[in-house]
Amino acid sequence: MNKSLFTVMTFVRINTRRFFRDRLALFFTVIFPLIFLFVFGGLNSGSGGASFRIALINQSDSSFAKDFVKQASSSGVFKIDDKASTLDQAKDLMTKSQLDAAIILPKNFGTVAAGEQIPRGEAQVFYTQNNAQSGSALVSILSDQFSTINKKLVKVDTPFTVKSEELKQKSLSAFDYTFAGLLGFSIIGMGIFGPVNVFPELKKMGILRRLSTTPLKVWQYFLSTMIGQAVIGLLSLSIMFAVAIVVFHLKIVGNPFELALFLVLGIITILGIGLALGGWAKNERQAAPLSNIIVFPMMFLSGTFFPRFLMPEWLQNVSALLPLTPVIDGIRLIATEGKHLWEIAPQLGLIGIWMIVIYIIAFRVFRWE
Amino acid sequence: MIEVKDLKKHYGDKQAVDGISFSVKKGEIFGILGPNGAGKTTTLEMMETLRDIDSGTVMIDGIDVAKHPQKIKYLIGVQPQSPAFQDKTRLTEVIEMFGAAYGEKVDAIQFLRDVDLEDKAKSYVEDLSGGQKQRLSITTALVHGPKVFFLDEPTTGLDPQARRHLWDLIEKVRDKGISVIMTTHYMDEAEILCDRIAVMDNGKIVAIDTPKNLIKALLKRGFTKKQHVEQANLEDVFIDLTGKDLRNE
Repeated sequence: MNKSLFTVMTFVRINTRRFFRDRLALFFTVIFPLIFLFVFGGLNSGSGGASFRIALINQSDSSFAKDFVKQASSSGVFKIDDKASTLDQAKDLMTKSQLDAAIILPKNFGTVAAGEQIPRGEAQVFYTQNNAQSGSALVSILSDQFSTINKKLVKVDTPFTVKSEELKQKSLSAFDYTFAGLLGFSIIGMGIFGPVNVFPELKKMGILRRLSTTPLKVWQYFLSTMIGQAVIGLLSLSIMFAVAIVVFHLKIVGNPFELALFLVLGIITILGIGLALGGWAKNERQAAPLSNIIVFPMMFLSGTFFPRFLMPEWLQNVSALLPLTPVIDGIRLIATEGKHLWEIAPQLGLIGIWMIVIYIIAFRVFRWE
Repeated sequence: MIEVKDLKKHYGDKQAVDGISFSVKKGEIFGILGPNGAGKTTTLEMMETLRDIDSGTVMIDGIDVAKHPQKIKYLIGVQPQSPAFQDKTRLTEVIEMFGAAYGEKVDAIQFLRDVDLEDKAKSYVEDLSGGQKQRLSITTALVHGPKVFFLDEPTTGLDPQARRHLWDLIEKVRDKGISVIMTTHYMDEAEILCDRIAVMDNGKIVAIDTPKNLIKALLKRGFTKKQHVEQANLEDVFIDLTGKDLRNE
């Protein structure tokens, strides 16, 4: 084996082993991103179905009313809050926006009046001004349900009907966006916060200085860090994928090898920022503020925690050029939209340009002490 | 082996090293003494390629340090003042990594045996005592078979047993034909260990000779010390009571 490469691979081998012995490092690279995944994944799946939080106050004791309540609770269209059992309590909760609306089934709801064949009733819907939209949506849902019931009770002819059909075409769910963003967050955590914390420490202890008395070259040291980071990063991201698939039903449609290759590119590009910052900083006091100035705007603007399409257009145009943006977009395009590498040339090109720029800076500013 | 000529270095207004010249022979232990701020460490750092040279030359084995720093790195081994290693690394791995830095595959156990650390081979570096770290550091500086070995205050903070053990190690290195250049604040250490000594003050060498000759010259100048002949000193008592054996620190 080539001598220079032997140097690099020995460093990779031993440093990777060291990583697996370090519980704190394992926690921050594997467990920490998973916590975020569960928190944000949980938030997203909660708002997935359009369900209303309502109070359902049943004042009638007819069997029809009881059946209606039972059906409503199990339909999934409503989320029934049993904190309110009177209209006043419901009103109070509605003003606090903890409830969208209240449905009241009055005393005679669903009873069969004397001389009649079938039960009758009028449900009342209450909502506040702020919730006018959910209120009217609720009314239309209820009318729809009632008309189905009415049809069963009274034979009517319905010449005009609507037929709805769900398209088979898969659309991106909120989770798809969140997940790609969380991977981006994880890549930043490993690639930037890792070196930014470790390098100043190594300089303080004189470990890098000692290495600089050997013929070890900066590119060998960088390359060994890049390979090690790619291995550990892929492992950490694979665990996130596994959890997302099993727990949050993420569907990967893209080619896993292309995805892995793209992830490695992303990991190495972002790592370059960490190498530049950590390699330049003489101590923690220099490293921390500068890395925060760079990392936090990038984290929020590149779509880690909320998708970029929610931003105003000018901000989208600016944030599209940040180095993390094509990484997150590319991951989503390959993983959940099934694109091939050659179909995401704009993302790859932008990553390539950033990689060159970042590593030129990193080599220029690197200091052994 | 080493030829230093009119070496200079300044930091701002301060002339840290002010035109020093000396030479070190093959297989010699050369001590640089002097109070803090005399320029000892700066001198070492310039010889080790760690600091730019303002003017003057350092030649090691016929190679100019300023012109060919990369070649020099293969010829020298460096022991820093307070050796540190990345934690969670086994001793054998530390040696493998330093070997790899020179592009060489080394027998880690053999190098650990040289400094009596063989039984610690599988330990992590953070479990070593100060003296053991110094020994590990010495052996990592020798993995590539250098011709010159630099030590910066190697025995500071060690107990008497560990110091003596380290002296033996340094002599063993010298006996292999390696030139050793060391700094120290301990005069007893310099007297016992060093073949020749340079005394530095304010960036200049004020005296350079063997310890014996330096003492003789002082006595010739009429120096007398209150005669107070003792057959032993406190260190003799300490070693007598606690033995010479290296401790399982």
